[in-house]
Amino acid sequence: MADGGQGPAPAPVGPSPVGPLVVACLDPADLRQEVDPLTGEVRADWRRADLSASDGAALEHSLRAAEAWGGTVLALAAGPPGLDPVLEQAVALGARALRVPWSDAHSGPAVDAVALAAALAAAISQAGPPALVVCGDRSPSRGIGAVPALIAHHLGAEQALGLVSLTVDQSSQVVIAERRLDGGWRERLRVRAPAVCSVEAAGVRLRRAPFAAALRSSGQPIPVAASQSGVASTGAQLRIGGPRPYRPRTKAVAPPMGGTHDRLLALTGVLVAHDPPRIVGPLGPVEAAGELLDFLDGHGYSPPSGPAQ
Amino acid sequence: MATVEFRVGARAHIVVDSDVCRSCTTKACVSACPANLFAPTSDGGILFNYEQCFECGTCYMVCNSEGAIEWTYPDGGQGVVFRHG
Amino acid sequence: MADTPSPDSFDAIVVGAGPAGSAAALALARAGRSVVIIERGPFPGSKNVYGGVVYARVLDDVIPNWWEQVPVQRWVVRRSTMVMTGSQAVTVDVRTQAWGRPPYNGMTVYRADFDSWLADQAVAAGASLVTSTVATGLVRDGTGRVTGVRTDRPGGDLASRVVIACDGVNSFLAKEAGLLPKADAAHHTLGVKEVLALPAEVIEDRFGLAPGEGLDIEMIGCTRGIPGGGFLYTNRDTVNVGVVVSLTGLAASGVRPEELIADLKEHPAVAPWLRGAAVKEYGAHLIPEGGYDAMPALAADGFLVAGDAAGMTLAAGLWLEGVNFAIGAGLAAGRAAAAAIAQGDVTAAGLAGYRKALEANFVLQDHKRLRGAPQLVLSDRMQRQYVQLICDLAEQVFTVTNPEPKPGLVKLLLRGARRHKVRVRDLVRDGIETAKVFR
Repeated sequence: MADGGQGPAPAPVGPSPVGPLVVACLDPADLRQEVDPLTGEVRADWRRADLSASDGAALEHSLRAAEAWGGTVLALAAGPPGLDPVLEQAVALGARALRVPWSDAHSGPAVDAVALAAALAAAISQAGPPALVVCGDRSPSRGIGAVPALIAHHLGAEQALGLVSLTVDQSSQVVIAERRLDGGWRERLRVRAPAVCSVEAAGVRLRRAPFAAALRSSGQPIPVAASQSGVASTGAQLRIGGPRPYRPRTKAVAPPMGGTHDRLLALTGVLVAHDPPRIVGPLGPVEAAGELLDFLDGHGYSPPSGPAQ
Repeated sequence: MATVEFRVGARAHIVVDSDVCRSCTTKACVSACPANLFAPTSDGGILFNYEQCFECGTCYMVCNSEGAIEWTYPDGGQGVVFRHG
Repeated sequence: MADTPSPDSFDAIVVGAGPAGSAAALALARAGRSVVIIERGPFPGSKNVYGGVVYARVLDDVIPNWWEQVPVQRWVVRRSTMVMTGSQAVTVDVRTQAWGRPPYNGMTVYRADFDSWLADQAVAAGASLVTSTVATGLVRDGTGRVTGVRTDRPGGDLASRVVIACDGVNSFLAKEAGLLPKADAAHHTLGVKEVLALPAEVIEDRFGLAPGEGLDIEMIGCTRGIPGGGFLYTNRDTVNVGVVVSLTGLAASGVRPEELIADLKEHPAVAPWLRGAAVKEYGAHLIPEGGYDAMPALAADGFLVAGDAAGMTLAAGLWLEGVNFAIGAGLAAGRAAAAAIAQGDVTAAGLAGYRKALEANFVLQDHKRLRGAPQLVLSDRMQRQYVQLICDLAEQVFTVTNPEPKPGLVKLLLRGARRHKVRVRDLVRDGIETAKVFR
């Protein structure tokens, strides 16, 4: 349980820190967000926030690394208090938990990744010097994926992103990471701690918490990181324009088949009946508009009459 | 099926014993399953999926051969998640 | 709550955080008992699908003014019953504004919201809730008394004095306790439904509703002759359309369930309501429709069953209710368990107060009175011949055949009966039977 320290940094809930600190930096989100096909509006129910598969893998890798090193895990997430039940899952697995209050953490690509990463890095530093920070490499919250790299920048840590496997060397503070390359190749990296790694949902599944631990952690208050002066949001780094209608690509039409004569007929269309071009102008604006509408009408492009339902 | 969230567990919670199915003439599970998870194979057996299961239980209820379909709940937290049920 | 639960022993374990389970846990927690609810989904309601309307007056004395906090979609002020063939429909439409005012009558909800809300009430009263956990079996002592449950979490064997199984229609715990048969297709129906998105204003225009008001339509004759029926009801910005069919009938017909929904959506009486609607969710669930006669024993030593697990859905044609019965049974189970624990006797005899309470209130009284209804409603004559008879009769009564004079109603009825091979004898007998069942 928390030591109840009254210092400036609130004590994260869970066992008190022993050994190297492994941080699981999680991005809980509604796993099934709805996108309105017409307006592009995203509807998400944050009461239903949960760990994505890659965040689950990140937490599992963190737990394994902490076990190998004899260290502790800090589960960290940025967002509203609605995320606490997700952090309780991490507490049930023996991690400490800390939430960074962040109001726009789930506004998709419009989130200010620089400020968010700074706030996360500050919260990590407050908890202690980390040996390893593990993030999921993909989240349904539709971020741009820059946060892990930015955290590494803030912490001055090495980084290895998009990993399919992550093992730690028990005797030294070295992480052995594997990453996909093109052509079915993989590269194996030796990364020195402190390091920031992001992992794919590959090879591991998050373990189940024992019943007693799940029961104990449910409803337990999750401590909140002190708000950071100087990392206030400076506005989104990415601007999002308004939704536009879908424009399909040009359709490729196969060249006509058959003999030279047939091909020539098909390409020129000489034997196909068609309206000859006709010169209608010059016209005034009203007549021109009328002509255009008549043309569209005659070719089946007429707009629906009357107001749409 | 694309409208529903399924959290696919590592363990198959439906297991079909095709040896029993070969002697089954009705194969009611094939048409009755609302998620269309069962497909007859050319050798008279049943090919089954468990990933997109609504967990309703229709298949084992309509099955007329005891023991052909072994049906349990998926592991905790896995399986279908209805939002508008 | 009196004391914090020790991790491995509780006064009671409730399996399933549906309406029955949350109500049972609420009653136990209010009685000062340590209780834990085990839910297999990631949140309460995530595995649940229902067919229409929650009648929540049963909550009046446990959650005063529940209507001020319940996550409602729409208050049902219109209740229609539709008898239909492929090209005809006869509708009886009941509307009253009284249902749109406190204490209200029926409401539409999303189960994910409603079940979570009810579970929150239990947790606020002092119950514990552990989600993402399957109760895989019962723990029993040498005498066969239930002393706990096994779960699929590590270290997941739990001990308790009473286990209340509210684990739904497939209740593997009631099956393990020997109270329910392993598979019982004859007493179950399959419900499949689509949630279709439409803007709230469009729903209100099409169904003649004011904002916040809802409609519930029950249909018969839309299932290709498979015993069952259809339903349509409105949420804030979705319309739910679905069918409920007998499992044996469905299996024998070889028809796929989603074809029946597609049929219903294309029916000329239904299609205009749904024009332009996009499918938001498709789901399926079993319904125990056996009624009173198919209900299991409700108690064993250290063990109670409530809700769908005990087959408490009322499918009686005119009345199609389930959630209210589950809540009523859950509250009674929780109170009976609390009383039995206080008495120190949790054997079946000590828990007999549960059945007594249900017999004294609507849960078993309604079921007992309407015990013949499921069979009657799903009978072949009701499902095919009478449906056609009613539709033809209504059509011919209002078809003006000038210059021929109007035929008499009795003549039309007899003509229709002949055409659809309905014997007058059967008609009279079913009339008497119906009067008897619904008396």
